[in-house]
Amino acid sequence: MTAIHREPRAIEIGEAALAEMRELAPSLVFAMIVTDDGFELAHAPQKTIDGGRFGSMTSSVQALSEAVSRELRIGASSYVVIAAENGHVLQQRVPGQSLILASLFDNHETLGKALSISRRCVEKLSAELAPHNLQGFPGSTTHP
Amino acid sequence: MAEHVILFAGPMGAGKTTAIRSLSEIEMVNTEASNTERHIVDKETTTVALDYGEITLGDDEKVRLYGVPGQRRFDFMWSILKERAKGMILLINNDAPDAVALAIDYLASFRELVESGSAVVGISRRDLARTPSPDDYADALSAAYPGSLIPVFTVDPRNAGQMTTVLLTLVATLDSRVQPEAVQS
Repeated sequence: MTAIHREPRAIEIGEAALAEMRELAPSLVFAMIVTDDGFELAHAPQKTIDGGRFGSMTSSVQALSEAVSRELRIGASSYVVIAAENGHVLQQRVPGQSLILASLFDNHETLGKALSISRRCVEKLSAELAPHNLQGFPGSTTHP
Repeated sequence: MAEHVILFAGPMGAGKTTAIRSLSEIEMVNTEASNTERHIVDKETTTVALDYGEITLGDDEKVRLYGVPGQRRFDFMWSILKERAKGMILLINNDAPDAVALAIDYLASFRELVESGSAVVGISRRDLARTPSPDDYADALSAAYPGSLIPVFTVDPRNAGQMTTVLLTLVATLDSRVQPEAVQS
């Protein structure tokens, strides 16, 4: 069985979703869809930062945030925000998949709009990956 | 209460998460994700940030146990966690290709701890691979770190008794170290 990040159809869907996201948010500096264990499915735009590093860090941050939610018994973590001086990073799970969308916006974007764009992207990914039965790949069924 | 922070490092599949689970008195905190690289290590999940557990030794010594991800692409977590660590247990699965070289390679990433005599090596999965022997590791470690004593154990990370012995050895070493301040006063 092929892991989802090596499935050409899944990669195509991911790239299309990120392209649409870029159109909606010119302030998007970099975005990547990664597996739970940090491997890239798709990214946009063409490499402006070290994607491998970004993917691994996304995986660690997501896992830590979910460990905190579990520990505090506050339910599933919806998204993770790192608000910094010159931009913000937003992470959100793709519903029904072991995939995470991580997006870096510059500080011209409001957090609210970034969140809305990110949510739209993960919903689109979820809807488009499901009919292709791509949720059956290893590790892709553990999250709601 | 005295506190120690001990790291568990080593390659994916060496038994770091299992060892902490064996030792911890509290429910372990873990950050495991589905492993999509099953063709490399046939393991369902992999640690992507850290494992955390605690154990109390004696009446007043708490040991915080941190497991780091085994895969080098998560080495930023190694850097974060080693800043806090007083000592480390390197677990190496003996059935890994060139396991001795792998041990030397991992230890190099934690050089400060190794050179200060704050590291021990635990060889796991020896039931699956009899070689290399503990002596092979000891010889290679002596050559790589002349003057540093790095104890080598054969362990089963599932065995709490064995893991406790390794941990106690490390903590005793850390406790016995002469503090410069104490010498001056």
